[in-house]
Amino acid sequence: MNAKPMIEIKNIYKHFGPVRALDGVSLKVYPGRVMVIIGPSGSGKSTLLRCMNHMEVENKGEVWVEGELLNGTQKNLNRIRSEIGMVFQLFNLYPHLTVLENITLAQRIVKKVSKKEAIENAMHQLQRVGIAEKADVHPQKLSGGQQQRVAIARALAMKPKIMLFDEPTSALDPEMIKEVLDVMLLLAKEGITMVVVTHEMGFARAAADEVIFMDEGLIVEHGTPEQLFDHPIHPRTKQFLSQILAH
Amino acid sequence: MIEETSPALRDRVQISMDKKSLRQKLKDFPWWFVALLMIIFSSYVLIAINPKYKDAFLFIRIGLSTTITTTLSAFFIALIIGLITGLGRISQSVFFRNLATLYVEFIRGVPMLVLIFFIAFAGVPGVVDGLNVIGHWLQSIGVNFLAAPLITLENKNIDMTVRAVIALSVTYGAFLAEIFRAGIQSIGYGQMEAARSQGMSFWQAMYYIILPQAIRNVLPALGNDFVAMLKDTSLVSVLAVRDITQVARLYAGRSFRYEETYTTLVIMYLSMTVILSLLVKYLERRYHRSER
Ligand SMILES: Nc1ncnc2c1ncn2[C@@H]1O[C@H](COP(=O)(O)OP(=O)(O)OP(=O)(O)O)[C@@H](O)[C@H]1O
Ligand SMILES: [Mg+2]
Repeated sequence: MNAKPMIEIKNIYKHFGPVRALDGVSLKVYPGRVMVIIGPSGSGKSTLLRCMNHMEVENKGEVWVEGELLNGTQKNLNRIRSEIGMVFQLFNLYPHLTVLENITLAQRIVKKVSKKEAIENAMHQLQRVGIAEKADVHPQKLSGGQQQRVAIARALAMKPKIMLFDEPTSALDPEMIKEVLDVMLLLAKEGITMVVVTHEMGFARAAADEVIFMDEGLIVEHGTPEQLFDHPIHPRTKQFLSQILAH
Repeated sequence: MIEETSPALRDRVQISMDKKSLRQKLKDFPWWFVALLMIIFSSYVLIAINPKYKDAFLFIRIGLSTTITTTLSAFFIALIIGLITGLGRISQSVFFRNLATLYVEFIRGVPMLVLIFFIAFAGVPGVVDGLNVIGHWLQSIGVNFLAAPLITLENKNIDMTVRAVIALSVTYGAFLAEIFRAGIQSIGYGQMEAARSQGMSFWQAMYYIILPQAIRNVLPALGNDFVAMLKDTSLVSVLAVRDITQVARLYAGRSFRYEETYTTLVIMYLSMTVILSLLVKYLERRYHRSER
């Protein structure tokens, strides 16, 4: 790996009171690569992801984004965040705005893009996720799958260098999971750098360059999808995989 | 449980509800409201045909503009105080949070009538004295352009109407702060997270994402407090501000027509509050429809 990492995490610790959510985690995310994070509930997956754009601030250790240390000054942080797209389990669209306004707002006020440009870009992103016809409705009128695709378009509209997904399909009805995963697969094929927390093994196999298995705030195992799913080394990985495959 | 009921059962429930509907509708009909409108209407007929009532009405009407402008200006200022204090109540800063809470709890712990006396006769003079002191100090260090207006400020130049507006807005500011706080807290944290994750600052997220939703949610509560404030302006008559209550008291004292005066006064308040309540309900309903 000769490229510079997009995100580098150096031995971070994060605790919530007595709970040790991250207990010394290091990793590098390289440009153009897709990393999937799996692990049991409470193992620290979301916390790790949220440390990458300082939605959560580590107690110890360092987070570097494109060679820049996240150091707690707001200016630096807001600019870096605007270059990192984040997609949430519960979509978190802005319900008082139309789909189009959801996608143009941050472009306008954070990146100071002109109105015309913001709208053109928003429409382009909506086409990319396949719901350009819904531009003028309010998000509540959309199905869960459509809302999540709008949320992805909203993140893409900021022209992010990396996309973070926190269980983007786990709040969806089963019949809508595929439409969201298809969009994500497309992005992966386009070479967008992604970190995805998910339990969708099919997606991980198809899209991931590397898979990380976390447990109790630690990275237990790290490898290609084939290594991790077909030949897991660690007993806890084996146990976890047998549990989710049983479902 | 509801999802488990069979479609057939649901249909039967639906049908029985339809059958009941006329009787139920008559039962649920707001008869009280019709009665209220009739009371108001017949009172105005009385005012129109009975010269004693008519005289009272024409006299009290003089105070109407004071009542309305006091309500509007005090409510407007209270909105600003309330919004700032509401934000203070949820602030991360220990200082601002405690300052806002102190203000709210102070106001809530004192009867409104007493607060009005206090603010008009102790609060305002106290602030004026304080400003005078600052003015003299500024003069002594040579900042004359700022000092002059502060020194010339005199208590006797501050009209009672102005004090009444200050008193009402300071009082209602604390009430509205609680409404705004509840409204902001009713917005899920995911909204702030999404906005911050896009690189918006805290205040941008507040302004563009949280407040528009919070204010929509609290519009009915704000409307109710507006109606309440209209009624509470009657308290400023104790400052001899010539609102409709004060004017009515003057008229009754002079003419000895107590019955006619206070009946007319009641009807005037009642018609204003009924109209405003209807307006609030209408806006609320329209908002709920546009939500869906
Ligand atoms: N804001 C918070 N306050 C307190 N505890 C927290 C907070 N966020 C996370 N935790 C705790 O930290 C631990 C790790 O949480 P995290 O959300 O990272 O797990 P996760 O792997 O994403 O789990 P899940 O699959 O359930 O989403 C858990 O024990 C959780 O209860
Ligand atoms: Mg999680």
